[in-house]
Amino acid sequence: METEKKAGPQGPGAEDADSAFALLVEEQQRLVYAVALRLCGNTAAAEDITQETFIAAWRHLKDFRGESSLKTWLLRIAANKARSYWRWRRLRAWVGLADRGEDGEGTALEDLLPDDPAGRPEQAALAAELERRVQAAINALPPRQREVAVLRSQGVSMAEIGAALGMAEGTVKAHWFEARRKLGASLGEYL
Amino acid sequence: MNYEKEEKLVSLLAVRRGAAFWPRQKAAILRAAGEERGPRRAWLLAPAAALAVILVLVLARGPQERSPDGPGAVSAAFIEHLDLLADMDVLEAIPEEEL
Repeated sequence: METEKKAGPQGPGAEDADSAFALLVEEQQRLVYAVALRLCGNTAAAEDITQETFIAAWRHLKDFRGESSLKTWLLRIAANKARSYWRWRRLRAWVGLADRGEDGEGTALEDLLPDDPAGRPEQAALAAELERRVQAAINALPPRQREVAVLRSQGVSMAEIGAALGMAEGTVKAHWFEARRKLGASLGEYL
Repeated sequence: MNYEKEEKLVSLLAVRRGAAFWPRQKAAILRAAGEERGPRRAWLLAPAAALAVILVLVLARGPQERSPDGPGAVSAAFIEHLDLLADMDVLEAIPEEEL
């Protein structure tokens, strides 16, 4: 990873901390956002989690011991924040404060589309429907399988997933095997 | 599930956003990081600011005349004591044979 080469495992020096942090954001924001979005299924929450993940990293960069890569460290922070999000959602539901807008599958259609769908409303509707089906399939997975599947689907290696989630590589593989089977059953028509 | 299907599944699960989204998000993160650091630097300056305020207050009070009865007043007994000490210094400085 380029960031790790420039910043080093001990973190960036104070003199160029700002530019090193900007580089870290540039390189990892897509991954962190994708993981956050797939883990909580809500675009607003994903943006918040992404921002909070990088701010937490910025705040604790000096404490980073370099035992893992910056990438797996960021993924661990993001996964923890997504877990906190679900705990918060459950607590709100328990006290009867949950509303429709916070539902994981209630993501706005325009948020799910990559580009301006003007002129192609049918394609846009199909893309939105696919996106909802995919997110529903992910949400149906048990939490650990969901985390493994989300990280794996973003191209994270088994070893990195293990480091990020604190699991043995064999456990990661077992979760991925099971998650893949369930996702295959849910989304079979698209495969 | 074969390799091809797995690749397709991974592709389905990928997240796609418009090109304009990423620079906007990056800017928001960097702005938030800047705000996070701002108050911390202010806290670093707080002791210096407090010291400056104290200095200004001390200078604003200006030199004050001391009361003759205050703790700064030198008593006659103290002066006599100093005289005695001075005498001792003189006495110690004189060789014994001259005494």
